[in-house]
Amino acid sequence: MTPTVLSTLGVGRKARVLDVGGDAQLQQRLLEFGILPGVEVRLVRVAPLGDPIEIEVLGYNLSLRKNEAAHVHIEALP
Amino acid sequence: MTEARPAGESTRNLRRDKHVVALLGNPNTGKSTLFTALTGTRQKIANYPGVTVEAKVGHMQFENTELTVIDLPGTYSLAARSPDERVATEALLGRLDETPKPDGVILVVDASSLDRNLYLATQVLEFGLPSVIALTMVDVAKTRGISIDLEKLSRAIGCPVVAVNAPAGEGLQELKATLHKRLHHPATPLSLEFPPEFVSAVDALHLKLADLGVTLGYTPTRPEALRLIVDAAGPLFEEAREAGGNAFEEAFTKLRTQACGGKSAALIEAQARYGRIAAWTRESRTQTKIEGRTLTDRVDSILTHRLFGTLVFILVMGVIFQSIYTWASPLMDLIESGTKWVGDLVGSNMADGPLKGLIVDGVIGGAGGVLVFLPQILILFLFIAILEDLGYMSRAAFLMDRLMSRFGLTGRSFIPLLSSFACAIPGIMGARVIEDRNTRLTTIFLAPFMSCSARLPVYTVMIAAFVPKMGWLPIWLPSPFSTDPGGNTYLISLQGLTLFAMYWVGVLAAIPTAIVLKKGILKSKITPFLLELPSYKMPRPKAIALTLFEKGGAFIKRAGTIILAVSVIVWALSYFPHSEEISAKWEKEREEANQRYDTIKDMHRMVSNFDKHLAEFNLIDSRYETALAEAATTGDAEAAKARAEATKIAAYEAMRKEVGPLLFEAAANVAAAEKERDQRLAEINNEEAGEHLRNSFMGRMGRTIEPAVKPLGWDWRIAMAAIASFPAREVVIGTLGTIFNLSDADETSEPLRETLQKAKREGSDEKLFSLATGLSVMVFFALCCQCAATLAVMRRETNSWRWPLASFLYMTTLAYFGALVTYQVAHALGG
Repeated sequence: MTPTVLSTLGVGRKARVLDVGGDAQLQQRLLEFGILPGVEVRLVRVAPLGDPIEIEVLGYNLSLRKNEAAHVHIEALP
Repeated sequence: MTEARPAGESTRNLRRDKHVVALLGNPNTGKSTLFTALTGTRQKIANYPGVTVEAKVGHMQFENTELTVIDLPGTYSLAARSPDERVATEALLGRLDETPKPDGVILVVDASSLDRNLYLATQVLEFGLPSVIALTMVDVAKTRGISIDLEKLSRAIGCPVVAVNAPAGEGLQELKATLHKRLHHPATPLSLEFPPEFVSAVDALHLKLADLGVTLGYTPTRPEALRLIVDAAGPLFEEAREAGGNAFEEAFTKLRTQACGGKSAALIEAQARYGRIAAWTRESRTQTKIEGRTLTDRVDSILTHRLFGTLVFILVMGVIFQSIYTWASPLMDLIESGTKWVGDLVGSNMADGPLKGLIVDGVIGGAGGVLVFLPQILILFLFIAILEDLGYMSRAAFLMDRLMSRFGLTGRSFIPLLSSFACAIPGIMGARVIEDRNTRLTTIFLAPFMSCSARLPVYTVMIAAFVPKMGWLPIWLPSPFSTDPGGNTYLISLQGLTLFAMYWVGVLAAIPTAIVLKKGILKSKITPFLLELPSYKMPRPKAIALTLFEKGGAFIKRAGTIILAVSVIVWALSYFPHSEEISAKWEKEREEANQRYDTIKDMHRMVSNFDKHLAEFNLIDSRYETALAEAATTGDAEAAKARAEATKIAAYEAMRKEVGPLLFEAAANVAAAEKERDQRLAEINNEEAGEHLRNSFMGRMGRTIEPAVKPLGWDWRIAMAAIASFPAREVVIGTLGTIFNLSDADETSEPLRETLQKAKREGSDEKLFSLATGLSVMVFFALCCQCAATLAVMRRETNSWRWPLASFLYMTTLAYFGALVTYQVAHALGG
C-alpha cells in the first residue's frame, strides 16, 4: 500500500485517490469528473495501443491518457 | 407532444402564462430525447455567433401555460472553459441575445452515474432558479443494482426529482405538472459548506462586482462571484476587468489568494460539491451487489480487445465506407437523372439563349451538383448517429487516441477525418466534438486532404484511360463479379494499386501538415483527453431520423446557397461572350446538312408509298441494332452476332423481292443519308459548343495560364477543366467532355475515355495525354481543395474567412507542385 500514481496501476486493481495534481485545467477537469481525494477507482482496461486507460470511478467509466493519470496520486488497495 | 387544449378553452379566455425553461444536463443523459418528447419535432435552432454552438428551442404547453424550452449543449460543469460550457452558463444567466432568459430549469440527471451528474446540479441550484430534476436511465441503474428513493432524494436536495423514460413517454406528465407548480413558487438558492475564508472572499467580491454594476449595466449575482473565484475566466471576468481596471484586478487576485488559503480553488469547489452529493445520496440510494459483469463491460471486453476490438473496428469502418459507395450510388444516379430530366423539361420549353443556359446549366445543374451529395451525407450521418447512440463513438476515440496523438491530434479527430473520405463537409461539421480549439482547427484543416467520393470519377476516368491493364496473380471470377468479362481479373492489378495510391497521396500530405500546424501556429497545451465511456444503449430510430432530417436540411441550406452562386458564375464565364458569329456559322452548316439530305430524299418523292418503304427498311436496321446490343450480353456473343447478321440479310432479301430491287436500293440510300445527316448534326452541335467554349472568358483564362501548367504536362483545355472545377470538382467530367467536343460525357461512357486517349496537342500530332499527364491530373485533384461547399462550411464552422482562404491557397499550391513533380518524374521514367 505504498503511494504511487494512477498510470502505473495494474488492470483490474483498485486504489484510493490521495491527491490530484497537474496544471490548473487538468486538475479542475479531473476533480469535476469525480477523481478527488478519498474516492475509490478501479483500472478497467488499457487501450490496445497501450494508451489511454479506462477507469471506473463513482460508478461510471472514464478514459484518460497515461500522462494525465500520472498526476493522480493513489494508494493501491488490496 | 404538446398538450391537447382542454375543451372549451378558447371560449373561457384564460389569462395565458408564459415561461422560458432551460434544459441542462451532462452529455449522454438522454437530454435530447427528453427535449423531443416534451416539445415535438418543431424546433428552431439558435446559433450563437463566434462559437459553433447551437441550442435548440421548442415549445410546449401545460394547462394554460406556454413554455419555451431551450435545449442547452450537454456539459459536465458550468466552468467556463470550452465553448459549450460558456454558452450553457451564459444562456442560463440570460446573458445571450439569441435565446430568452430562462426563469426555470429542467436538470437532466442520469441515475446510473448519479454523483457525477449531480455535480452540475449543485452548480445550477446555487443560482436559485426554480428547478426540477428529471431522472433518466433508471432502468440502466437498476441493472447495476442501484435503486433510488425519489422522495428521499427530493427532500435531501430540496428540489423535486421526477423519474422519466422519454422514449416510452413515461413520467412526462408528472414532469410537466411538477415544473408548472414549481414555476409559481420562488426557489431558495442552494448553499454549500465552503471554508469560512472562501465564503467571506466570495461576499467581498460580490460587493466589488456590485460596485462595478453601474459600469457593467447589470448587477452580477453572488453565484457569479463564486464562479469567478473558482475559474478566474469567462466573459464576466473580462468585462469586470475592463470596467474595474487595475484596481479590480489587484483586489481580485488578493481575494482569490485569501479565499483558497494555499489550496487550489478547484479542489475546494469539488470537495464542497461532492461532499454535499454524498450527503444527498447516503439515505436515498441503495446499491446491491450484482454478481458477474455488466453487459457493457462484457461487450467492451470484446470491442476494446487488442485483437477482436481492432478487427471489429476495421470491419465497422469497412462497412461504413462500402455503404457510402454502394448504397449511395443508385440514389445519386436517381438525383442526377432527375436533375437532367428537370433540365431537359425546362430546356425544351424555353427559347434558346443566355437565359435558358443560365437556368438549365447554371441553376438546375448547380442545384443538382449539391443535391447529388445528399445520399452520401445522409448515409454517413446515419452511421454516425447509430454508432453515437450505441456508445461506440467514444470507444473508437479510445482505440485511436494513441495513433492520432502522434500527429498532435486526439482520438476524437479520427471519426471526422474518416468521414471526410466520403465527404469533407460532414467531417468538418463532425469536428465539433473536439473541445480544444486548436486541435479542432487542425482537424478541420486536414479534412479536405482525405480523398472524398467526388474525386473518385476523376480517378476512374484517368485510370481507365491511361493506366495499363496489367497485374499480378490472375484469378478467374464468374461474370457478375468480374470487372472485365473478356480478360483476366487480377488479385493485384496496376489500376487498383493506382487508385489505392491516390487515396494515400492525401493522407501522406496530411500527416506532415498536421505536425507542422500543431507544432507551429496551432500549438496548444495538451488538453485533457478525459472522455466518458457511457454504457451501450439501443439506438432510438426516431431520434436518429430527426438528426438526419436536421443535418440534411442544414447541409442543403448552408452549402446550397454558396455553391449555387459559384456554379452560376462558372457557367457565365464559360458561356459569355456568346458570339453570334460562331452561332451563325454553325447554323449554316446545320442547314447545309439538312439540305443535302432533303436533296437525296426529294429524288424519290414521286414514288408512291416511299415513306412506308423507308420506314420498313429502317425497322430492319433498328431490329438489327437491338439484336446486336442483346448479343453483347449473352454468353456466346459471337454466335448471337452472326445470327443477328443472318436475320438482317434475310429480311433485306425478303424486302428486295417484295418491292423490287430499284425501290429497295432507293430506300437503302435514303436511310444511309438520314444516318449521315444525324451524325453530322451531332458533330456540328459538339463542335459549336467547343468553339463557343474556346472563345469564352473561361477558355481565354485557360489559354492565359497555359504556360504555367505546361510543366505539369497540361494544355489550355485541361487547365480550363481544372479552373472550372474549383467550385465543385465533380464537374470536371462534364467540363472535359464539353471541352473535348462531346455533348454528353459521363464517366462510364467509352467515348470520353477514348476521346481523351485520342486527344492531340493543338497544332501537333503529339498525344496530349500520356500516363504521366494522367497521373499529374489525378495528383492535382487529390491535393486540391476544389469544393466551394467545403470552404463555405469551413467558414461557418471557424467563423472566419481566414481558414478557408488558408486551406485554399495551401492546398492549391501543394496540388500544383505535387502535379509538377509527378509529371516530371513520370515523364523522365518514360511514362
